[in-house]
Amino acid sequence: MSKSKVKTFLAYLDSSNPLLRLHPFVKVLALLVFNLVAWLVEAPYPLLAYLLALVFLYPFLRVSMRNLIRALPYLLLVAQAVTLGYLVGSKIPGSVVYFSLPWGTYVSDRTLMFMASVMLRISCMVLGSTLVFISLRDVDLVYGFKSVGLPFAAAFTVNLSMRFSMLFMEDYARIRDAMVLKGAHLDSGGLVERARLTSLMGVPLMVLALKRMQDLSYVLELRGFPPKGKRTYVYEFVWRPVDAIAAAILLILLFSTVALRLTGFLSFPGWPFL
Amino acid sequence: MVDARRIAVTAVTAGLCLPLALFAIVLVPIPGLPAASGFWIPAGFYFPLTLWFGVWGALGGHIATFLAMGYFQGFTLHVWLDGAIGDFIAPITALLIFKLMGARPDLDQKKNRNAWLIAVPVASLVCGLWVHTVNLLFGVITPPFWWVGVTTYFIGDSLAVFIVGTPLLRSLTKFVKQSPMYIWRD
Repeated sequence: MSKSKVKTFLAYLDSSNPLLRLHPFVKVLALLVFNLVAWLVEAPYPLLAYLLALVFLYPFLRVSMRNLIRALPYLLLVAQAVTLGYLVGSKIPGSVVYFSLPWGTYVSDRTLMFMASVMLRISCMVLGSTLVFISLRDVDLVYGFKSVGLPFAAAFTVNLSMRFSMLFMEDYARIRDAMVLKGAHLDSGGLVERARLTSLMGVPLMVLALKRMQDLSYVLELRGFPPKGKRTYVYEFVWRPVDAIAAAILLILLFSTVALRLTGFLSFPGWPFL
Repeated sequence: MVDARRIAVTAVTAGLCLPLALFAIVLVPIPGLPAASGFWIPAGFYFPLTLWFGVWGALGGHIATFLAMGYFQGFTLHVWLDGAIGDFIAPITALLIFKLMGARPDLDQKKNRNAWLIAVPVASLVCGLWVHTVNLLFGVITPPFWWVGVTTYFIGDSLAVFIVGTPLLRSLTKFVKQSPMYIWRD
């Protein structure tokens, strides 16, 4: 018998996946902690260890490693930007200079270490965020924002934005088809010319947006938004021991990283940017 | 105070700009800069929406950029600080310049047109400085590439806002004035 699937932001997960049952607060906290830790650590070896730990979390939490493939094109794009920037546009002193360029920049052993650190840092952020978003449903977003103390309106707005983006994608396609049927050549010319031609759809698209804005404000007012008094919710997320343990581990990870960074253990001497 | 109208402005602005941001990244990508576009079409929309409806329009641009760039880059702290906060700062800067100059977004008088001509490049420059300083702090670019990034951002963003935003302000401001959400009352 096939297991039922649950749609999240980035994937379909088995309904029995433990990540789906995590409290939304823990998911939002994980998103913050995974990114902050990667940002705080400078030294390449701790970053490498952190990256390996994140990779290990995928099978541990029963998330397919195939999801990591979606991060690869972006990481390759960052890698080429970082490589280009550091090889031709940096002056980071080191014990060995491999080559110098006519405009005064050079590549030392430290340049390569910095390059590696930046790539590891971005990779950690992407892998950590992807892991969270693989388990995040729109319900989690609303309840997660609410549970970290953000107003319900903020969570509701983000949720509405994503629903409206689907509607505008349909509007965009409809307006584009209508213009093409009337003889517009929206795919002619270079990249900037094509972008300019695409922008001609701006006025009809904006008229639809303004009409939707008006309709939405009436609908929200008619439905009593913003809610007065104490609001009740359809779903109830109960704190379980596993949620408390996960939140505690994340907070310990964050505070220990801050402490180690302050003591200099995770710093990279000569880090040129922070 | 958050009310239904403000929620509507932010949600619809974000919903409108999100697919446009995805199209911009696909249509005019910048080799070497991940999830960036040389012609940021959504800026041409959230600038007018901010000038018409205030901070809530800029907040919509912020949400749209974070979600769209995140789709390609991953929803990271770097993306949020970089493009998303930058796309909040830019229209707010333009709005402040309009307020300081006592101008209105209907571009029917010389004063209003001058405000638009000043606000767009200044806002794009401020945003470019922010975005590439964040990139530098994260180590994604090196110091010599900072100026290259700021200059290309300044040109690309200004062009997109002028080409897309100007016809919107000229043709739709009279229509928008009838809306109770319009922030400029004489």
